[in-house]
Amino acid sequence: MDDQDILTTLKILIIGESGVGKSSLLLRFTDDTFDPEQASTIGVDFKVKTITVEGNNKAKLAIWDTAGQERFRTLTPSYYRGAQGVILVYDVSSKQSFNKLDAWLNELETFATKHDLVKMLVGNKIDKERREVSKEEGLKFARKHRMLFIEASAKTKEGVQYAFEELVEKIIQTPGLWETDKQGLKLSENASDGSYSACGGYCVI
Amino acid sequence: MAADDDTDVFEITDFTTASDWERFIARLEEILHEWRLVNLPALPPVAKGEFTSETWEERTDELQFVDVKFDLAYHYLKSAEGTVAEKTQEQDEQDETKKDATPTVFEDMMSMDNDFPSRAHCLCRWYGLRNFIVLAPKSNADIIDIESRAKLLLSSITIALGNTGCSVPMFVQIQQKWRRLYTGTCVLPSATISFDMAHLKRLPQQCTHLAGLLDVFKSELGHAINPMPAVAVSVRFTYILQEWIHSSWPQTPPDFSIMGDEEVGCTGFGTLPFGACEDPVSELHLSCTWPCLSENIIVENQVYTDLDPLQAPQWSVRIAMTEDSQCLLNDYLSEFMSLCSNKKAMSELYTPEDESMAKTKLKKLKKRIKNKGRKWKYVYSYGKVILSQHFDPSADISQALTRLTEPTVPTLSSVMSQASNKAKVKTHECPIPGPLFNEMIFFLFPDARPKENDGSEIQSPEDLFGVPISRAELKQELAKQLKSAPLDCLTVRLATCVCIINKNHGGWKAVAQLWQEVILELRYRLENNFLISGIECGPPNMGSCILHQKLQMLNCCIEKRRKRALQSMERAAPDGSFDSSPRRMRHGSGDETLHDSPSHSAVVASEKCPRFSPLMKRNLMRPDSRTSLGIESCSGSDEEFFDCDESQKESEIDMETSESQSSTSVSQELGEKEAVAATEPEGRLRPFGNVKLKNSNEILYIPITQEPAPMTEDMLEEHAEVLAKLGTSAEGSQLRARMQSACLLSDMESFKAANPGCVLEDFVKWYSPRDWIEEEVEENGVTVVKGQLSQRMQIPGNMWSEVWQNARSVPASRQKRLFDDTKEAEKVLHFLSSLKPPQLAEHLLPVLIHAAIIRIIQEEDEELPKLKQLINQIVVKSAKVTRASNQTSRKYEDLIQLISLAETVIARAKSLKTKFTKDLLDQKEAEEELTHFVSSLLQQPEVAVRGGPCGPAGSVIHKLFVAAQKASHLVLEDDLPEEPTTPSHCADSEASKPPSTVPDFPEASAREYILRTIIPRPAPYSRPLPQRISKFFLFFSDDLYFLSDVSIAATTTSTTTSATTTSITTSATTTTSATTTTSTTTTSATTTTSTTTTSATTTTSATTTTSTTTTSATTTTSTTTTSATTTTSTTTTSATTTTSATTTTSTTTTSATTTTSTTTTSATTTTSATTTTSTTTTSATTTTSATTTTSTTTTSATTTTSTTTTSTTTSANTTSATTTTSAATTTSTTTTSTTTSATTTSATTTSTTTTSATTTSSIDSLAATQLQL
Repeated sequence: MDDQDILTTLKILIIGESGVGKSSLLLRFTDDTFDPEQASTIGVDFKVKTITVEGNNKAKLAIWDTAGQERFRTLTPSYYRGAQGVILVYDVSSKQSFNKLDAWLNELETFATKHDLVKMLVGNKIDKERREVSKEEGLKFARKHRMLFIEASAKTKEGVQYAFEELVEKIIQTPGLWETDKQGLKLSENASDGSYSACGGYCVI
Repeated sequence: MAADDDTDVFEITDFTTASDWERFIARLEEILHEWRLVNLPALPPVAKGEFTSETWEERTDELQFVDVKFDLAYHYLKSAEGTVAEKTQEQDEQDETKKDATPTVFEDMMSMDNDFPSRAHCLCRWYGLRNFIVLAPKSNADIIDIESRAKLLLSSITIALGNTGCSVPMFVQIQQKWRRLYTGTCVLPSATISFDMAHLKRLPQQCTHLAGLLDVFKSELGHAINPMPAVAVSVRFTYILQEWIHSSWPQTPPDFSIMGDEEVGCTGFGTLPFGACEDPVSELHLSCTWPCLSENIIVENQVYTDLDPLQAPQWSVRIAMTEDSQCLLNDYLSEFMSLCSNKKAMSELYTPEDESMAKTKLKKLKKRIKNKGRKWKYVYSYGKVILSQHFDPSADISQALTRLTEPTVPTLSSVMSQASNKAKVKTHECPIPGPLFNEMIFFLFPDARPKENDGSEIQSPEDLFGVPISRAELKQELAKQLKSAPLDCLTVRLATCVCIINKNHGGWKAVAQLWQEVILELRYRLENNFLISGIECGPPNMGSCILHQKLQMLNCCIEKRRKRALQSMERAAPDGSFDSSPRRMRHGSGDETLHDSPSHSAVVASEKCPRFSPLMKRNLMRPDSRTSLGIESCSGSDEEFFDCDESQKESEIDMETSESQSSTSVSQELGEKEAVAATEPEGRLRPFGNVKLKNSNEILYIPITQEPAPMTEDMLEEHAEVLAKLGTSAEGSQLRARMQSACLLSDMESFKAANPGCVLEDFVKWYSPRDWIEEEVEENGVTVVKGQLSQRMQIPGNMWSEVWQNARSVPASRQKRLFDDTKEAEKVLHFLSSLKPPQLAEHLLPVLIHAAIIRIIQEEDEELPKLKQLINQIVVKSAKVTRASNQTSRKYEDLIQLISLAETVIARAKSLKTKFTKDLLDQKEAEEELTHFVSSLLQQPEVAVRGGPCGPAGSVIHKLFVAAQKASHLVLEDDLPEEPTTPSHCADSEASKPPSTVPDFPEASAREYILRTIIPRPAPYSRPLPQRISKFFLFFSDDLYFLSDVSIAATTTSTTTSATTTSITTSATTTTSATTTTSTTTTSATTTTSTTTTSATTTTSATTTTSTTTTSATTTTSTTTTSATTTTSTTTTSATTTTSATTTTSTTTTSATTTTSTTTTSATTTTSATTTTSTTTTSATTTTSATTTTSTTTTSATTTTSTTTTSTTTSANTTSATTTTSAATTTSTTTTSTTTSATTTSATTTSTTTTSATTTSSIDSLAATQLQL
């Protein structure tokens, strides 16, 4: 890993109901592409992107994309731990996906290990004509839960880049949230030993 | 000087620093400049109490005189510093307008607001200074114990101060450091102050009371002024209370030796010891203060005193704490910490030769394992060392190891321990004796305790960890914040237990023994399907520590096995009931000792080969025994992955209690279905609403599915790493999805089994409803709801459809287990058994910290805000530490220190509360006042007693003293009439006190007097300047030694020119002389060293100074000191006398010039004194040689006759202090007698007034010098 000028590695999580466009948002951000035939995520998926923060420093983002299906929820919350930032996505054309937000926040509360992690609410699919959730509703919800809020469209690219950058910025500005765990995902060297690392294996991501 | 080139004056100004002395002074000046102490403006007086409330700061530097190193330290009150900075700025602007302001030093000395500060540097206590510089030799070897050296340093200081214009007082520390003996000076533009002090071994009568002191003071001031202005007096007496009659410190160290006896319950292992073994409060110091009295209004002499402590206007109390009061919690925790870093415990069981031996054993073993059919793994560990006596030494060890079958290779360490059997570890405390050991095990696993032995003994966790209701919230918060474990669980019990046995029962060996037994128990429970009591069920909680997660994992495995066993049992005997308690299984009745008990032999026997003792075997035979099932399922489990069979449908449905509402209908339907359907649906949970299958009219059923595998944090870690390692490419994503599709596949298979004839659409309807898109379509005028899969699900070859195609129709009960409990359980046990005591301790640390914090909260005194703050600090810190990514014991050190600090504070609070009990109060309503008093005692160094002796707290203190007095005088309380004191009527009580009884208070342990006045000195026309004497006595009860140290602040002159005939007049003023006793020392110390010096007094009379360089020189005329000076055994002093000449006229001027002669300096002083007629000039030249010094001198003119001049030169390596003139003044600079005498002789003159002025100094029983004229 060419970590020389990497300031820190941040773990970011994308959660939300199934089909709201989590994977698409991520794909738009990392590869700047949009795939209308984006497959439904199974379990969790993982992408990395390095972005520039605060002058010349770079931050490596390890972004975990999760499946939204109820059944996977027994599994995916395990990956919440150690996340510094979370993107909670809903579909502006689906009221139901908006209504489920509370449940997601609950889950986050339960499983996230860092209590001061930065939360961002993203209303996706604003390119769609038939809107069921207004921007005001989104704003209201975000204000109530003290989150960042933005509306975006993975399809038209609108707001996506900005959303991620804003989130990272906010994390960097939050003291104590990221400085301590610079090792981030580098720990993976351990696993290659092949040995069952009984004593050495529980470092936090 | 370049400008002067053209002038006629040919003058060389020499700034070179040739000698060591000069260099020393130059360095001193440099530092003063560096610290910006030059030309400081006068500061406003320090506000009342600021000496205590503000912080003192210190700045230090080093310097060197020849080869002696010195520390220079500037002590200053922070606020003072702040104002200085401000002031200097101000001054820059408006230049020298403030010349007339009272110099800071005088302001300080005369301020009554800050007498007797409760904590401050001793110099501050004695002189009331807010800033001062101290010059002290760096090493103890270089102490200034020769007076000439002291004088030399003083001279240097004076020169430096004069040169720089620094008005901060500067002191030289002389004699041993502990004596805190200083001599100092301060140079002001118009005056000089000298600070002196002396230690007296024995106090002259005169100095023991105020009247005498006043006499001394006044006589030192001289009689010139009439009438003498009133002297202001501040007095403080301190009384020490050491005997606490009303309370004794109750806590004794817990005695664990009795534990294990029948009647002592197991509670001892669950509660961390707490509190101090010794009374943390040792003494109470009561200070009675009379601030700013006029000398006229009080009388204190040998026979009578007005200074009754009960009448004192101010009372203040301080508490002396025991240095190390042996706080138990701290002891236990630190012992535990040292276990964490105990290398011996890590390595002792594990030596290189063992390793090779073990390797060969291992090989043999593997061979055997292959032959053995039974799939048991048994991990030996070091703990066996202790039990080794129960082994038949000849038995083939490998036989016992044959059970090792698990694919994971047993750790070397586990095998190793077998080998190290031979080297027996022995300590007298280890092994832990049987009954005690049993007790521990039953404590850890309460459900294993035989029923008949159950009593009220078992303490519920609520008792162990109960906290006051007001703190319940904090307790909850703590549970959330810390990464430890729930308080009522095995992990916490284990932590406290390990902590206690580590301290009390043989250190790490005992820990190893216990841990071994715990592992055996865990294995036993696993194999026999008994849940581990006190570990909550459910997947590992990531919020708890890793050890706890492991135990939870183990419990999950056991749970899983139980379920399976239950099913197979029901298959065999449908109405079988089982006892879920492991009671009496492994542990015999508690009263048998471990070593002989059947239960223990069971353990041992099982180690050899048959795992089950006769007792157990008997249990196995019992038809209702759970064990038999356990064995059965256990033996079969590894081969059999189909853990449910067809007949368990109903029962399984029942098991899912939460969703059992529809079970009846299901079974009914099942009945129907079974008859009809070709492929029988299996593993249905319940219908999914009214949703029908797409291709048939069947109702869609939710299948029974497998639970996802629970994971501990470290497993998850690995898992995440593996997933992350696949990279971010599309292939990686694909692979990742495939890896995680096991769960999906399982669910699909279950679904297919439950819904024969279903298609992917049906599955998606249930599983991912948002991928099933329904649209209302108008078809032939009728609105029909048509649904289809979302676009992404329709992608050909997408993962979902791929998995769907691969899925067979298999109910969950017959699927491959997603969670391989057998393997996971072994992994956990392996992890646990390979922990060595230090590692175990490290794992238990967060839990132990949690328990310790709870313990503190339990004991917390809620009236102490400071403590509350401390606890919050601990909680925050521990949350951080326990969550840190890599746990090492080092991170816990600070935390443990904080915890023990809290413990100490609590112990002190407790102690004080028992001492100031409410029953000592006369007015019950004053309780609040008393509690307030107690809590402020804990938080402040010195507490003023509200209402003084008459307040509620004051009356309690009074009673305490009275009681202690009675006790010490062996007066029985009954013999005395009832103490009539009522706090509100102090005066009355005074009057009605029985006359002949013991005094209420003991002799004052310390008495401090400060006398102040402002008078012109030495001559009436001198400027009036403050004079101060402070005197401190410290009495020690037994021997009558005390130290008194006299500090004299003497002034110097201010030069003013007043026209006289020839010359210049100087008027000299003197300041005070002060005597002090340092309270520093302890009795023992004083007796041994019995040091002393004379009080001697010095003062100046007409003295002189002008030139910067000189000063140092001493001048004296004498004043009387009476006082003084008793002496040490060796020396006598009589101090003395004399008024000096100085009547009116004597004026002296000195002009000093330095000239260099070769390498040395010489300071010359000339004085011309005169009035009457004769003028004299003395020029004293002294040369210094490299090693030593000179000091210079002066002259004074005598009234009548002419005077002589002396010039002294000192020989190369001696110092000379010279003096002269007139009224037989002697310098106080004495050195060796020889030199001085020499000088004096040469310096004779007529003496008008003086009789004899002697100054003696005796230093540490060094030769004392005596000077007499």
